[in-house]
Amino acid sequence: MDENKVVEQNINEDELFHFVEYDAMKAEQIGYSNYSYWGSVFTNFLKRKSAVFMSCIFFGLVLFSFIALAIGKYNYAELVTDSSLAFISPNGEYWFGTDNIGRDYWCQVWYASQTSIKLALICAVGECILGVIIGLVWGYVRSLDRIITEIYNIFNSVPQIIYMTLIALMIGQSFWIMCVSIIFTHWLVMARNVRNLVFMYRDREYNLASRTLGTPIFRILSKNLLPYLLSVIILRLAMSIPGTISLESMLSYLGLGLDINTPSLGILLRNARAYFLDYPYLLVFPAIIVSLITITFYLVGNAFSDASDPRNHV
Amino acid sequence: MFKYTVKRLGQSLITVLIIVTIVFCLLRLLPTDYYFTEDQLMKFTDQQKHDALEAAGLLDPIPVQLVNFYNDILHLDFGESRRIQNGVPVVKVIGDKFGISMRNGLISMALSMVIGIPMGIMQAMYKEKLFDSIGTAYTIFVNAVPALVSYSLVLVFGSRVIGLPSMYSTRNPGPSSILPIVCLSLSSIAWYALWMRRYMIDEINKDYIKLARVKGLSTSTIMYKHVMRNAFVPLVQYIPANAIMTIGGSLLAERFFSVPGMGPLLTDSINRYDTNVVQTLVMLYSSLSILSVFLGDVCMMIVDPRITIASKGGKR
Repeated sequence: MDENKVVEQNINEDELFHFVEYDAMKAEQIGYSNYSYWGSVFTNFLKRKSAVFMSCIFFGLVLFSFIALAIGKYNYAELVTDSSLAFISPNGEYWFGTDNIGRDYWCQVWYASQTSIKLALICAVGECILGVIIGLVWGYVRSLDRIITEIYNIFNSVPQIIYMTLIALMIGQSFWIMCVSIIFTHWLVMARNVRNLVFMYRDREYNLASRTLGTPIFRILSKNLLPYLLSVIILRLAMSIPGTISLESMLSYLGLGLDINTPSLGILLRNARAYFLDYPYLLVFPAIIVSLITITFYLVGNAFSDASDPRNHV
Repeated sequence: MFKYTVKRLGQSLITVLIIVTIVFCLLRLLPTDYYFTEDQLMKFTDQQKHDALEAAGLLDPIPVQLVNFYNDILHLDFGESRRIQNGVPVVKVIGDKFGISMRNGLISMALSMVIGIPMGIMQAMYKEKLFDSIGTAYTIFVNAVPALVSYSLVLVFGSRVIGLPSMYSTRNPGPSSILPIVCLSLSSIAWYALWMRRYMIDEINKDYIKLARVKGLSTSTIMYKHVMRNAFVPLVQYIPANAIMTIGGSLLAERFFSVPGMGPLLTDSINRYDTNVVQTLVMLYSSLSILSVFLGDVCMMIVDPRITIASKGGKR
């Protein structure tokens, strides 16, 4: 009985299967997978409702800062000091009130938020580029490891505030000097993160294979290693934005940051420090806006870095 | 172990020397006018300035100045302050200030460990419940919002609602240091809670905990005997660093509440070009930070006997 069954099945299989004519188009379709890296990053990101909501708030806020400056009754460049108008609480004429020397607070606050965002974005991108390049070379080229580690240690051990103060004293204080000095002192963290990751992936078999096949270093770095690092880089990028805004406010408060004529969060709060106990609106408006920006970046950055980790993709 | 310690401390000494030399050279790059007070700048003629600088040995070539500087350090002579407190030895300037910073720092550290660590443990035990979300919201708030803003909020709340003094005063050090201490604690509570939670959750997901659960141990025993103790090991490494670094004070908090501590001293001395103070401070800070990393390793070794730092895997 059993043998008969087997024979039957064989016959059936022969009937069932037959060769199909080769078709290049159809062969492509079988091999094609719908997966695209950035596609899945965005689908994963969009699944997080809170992060999407927060990024909408952020874009809304940036957009509104331009609208706010346009619809405000005073132009930042044309503000005049008039002490008879000092400390007017928010009203129809001065939407955020006036500061201690009678200048409209509304346009100062929005202008300051724009300055802070601009500074943070430029610094984040700058330190990211510098950090990733140095980190890749540091991690990949063995002979440079020792030297760059020593340079890193020395850079890292001198308190950053010394660099900041020296730069402020020797070169001056302006928006671009501030950008350069923040990038100059902050690439270290990114470079170390990237270096440690490169160390982990450098000697995996697929890289060994690539190297034996004679792939140029640049291609190994950019095609084999960089995709693995992307989620860490994005996380660091997003975290550095609230960090930079904080740092800028602190430095400006200490008088080491931007010059007095470029309003930023730190300068506003420094000016308000003596008065905000009696006139709390001087604190409340800049504090709320900037906290919104930094918290949003923090959450969105976390969500986006989760989404950009290929191990979380299906 | 002894050999390793000596070797490591020797290396650190070289690092400190390099750092101090770099700072020394950087400071000599600044224009010499900064050496004088504004009064002196107005009154002094060029000849007087030249004489004053020459008398202080500041016009010698930089290598000569460096050798003199090292020589002084070897005799434990850190020079005198020039502008912060005219003519007072640097050691005294620092000695007057670091007590206040250290007291505030240590109180705040104790406070944040007492609050932060249990908070992290509770968050890990009730993961994704209400308490966890509140705690996470707190850590996000503290980490994301600029310190200047949160300090201002504490100041407004503390002085308007509770009625605490908003400025530090030496006559009334107790109540007037409450707000600075609270501000210092804000971020370190978040730090302890964040990492305690992280390490606890990593630990809970390990296989041996699952086994313990299968074996029938009660949750509290597992948490207390296994998870908490193992999760504490990576944190221990940072405790000496946190304690030692309280000497340095906090730049922002002390400036914000006018506490006469160490925090603003470094920037003040750079601003006023008090080179001796800057060099001494840099030397102090860099040796303290190197020392605290080393002590952190030692602490970790004491808490977790599996970790050894001295042998470098030669036995395997």
